[in-house]
Amino acid sequence: MDEFFIRKATLNDVPFLVETIIEAEKSGTDKLSYSTVFDLSLEEVRKYLADMFNEEVDGCELSVSSFLVAELDGQVAAAASAWIEGSEGISSSILKGNLLSYILPKKCIQKATSLNPVIRDLHIEYTPDSIQVGSAYVSETFRGKNLCGLLISKQLKFLSQIRPDISKVFAQLFECNLPSIRMCEKLGFKTVMKIESANEEVLHYLPFNKKILMTKELFIK
Amino acid sequence: MERTELVSKLTAVFRKVFKNNSLNLTNELTANDVDNWDSLSHMLLITEIENTFSIKFKLKDLNKMRKVGDMIDIIMSKL
Repeated sequence: MDEFFIRKATLNDVPFLVETIIEAEKSGTDKLSYSTVFDLSLEEVRKYLADMFNEEVDGCELSVSSFLVAELDGQVAAAASAWIEGSEGISSSILKGNLLSYILPKKCIQKATSLNPVIRDLHIEYTPDSIQVGSAYVSETFRGKNLCGLLISKQLKFLSQIRPDISKVFAQLFECNLPSIRMCEKLGFKTVMKIESANEEVLHYLPFNKKILMTKELFIK
Repeated sequence: MERTELVSKLTAVFRKVFKNNSLNLTNELTANDVDNWDSLSHMLLITEIENTFSIKFKLKDLNKMRKVGDMIDIIMSKL
């Protein structure tokens, strides 16, 4: 097998991280919530996601520091994010909300606010003092090498060393995202919660109307 | 603006955003204590606060707001 170099992401990786967020959000569908919920074109989504990454806020899904990347011969092949929830005394949802409200035009916020009653049913709270697995993506050329599994395993090892007291890891996935669900199962994750929106309108804005919460117990020394 | 007046106006904003007329603000209140305080409702909350008090937060201000007391202090500093 090729020898991939695993490292922390840097600002130079932002274009790849943007694609990671976009592809992970789509969950194998063509529905990009950043585009549908905020009424943005794909190019606008790319621009604003890059702007948010470049703010270098730590501790959420839009943090460069939450990502590990795998590269081969200097080419980034895959990325995956994970972070310790609420490590700075502020939840990752609030940090993300801060970035969105600071970077996005006000018209986007109004649009998202009007849709909140439709999409809120599929919101799952993050658990403080746990590890949250975020987005993962492998570029097409490098698929079939379990790079996402490798990156997430490295993330769990790395974050467990920082916070050995943490005993649980969580991942939230749309139920349609079967490849990612299978990957998590191979890593030892089990489904502990399923939620469903009865509002069919949600399918206009999100990849699916069912979401699952998966968890894995960490070995505590 | 006096702190009491600010808290009164801020309470009205919170009640509007979270659609909860019995919501009372304390310095120690955090997002974990309020139903539906997620990233989207937080965006709306920040926008409503900026409009109500005619201020504009910097990102570093926003990221210092761990509890409502921090939020009140930062708003006060901008008035």
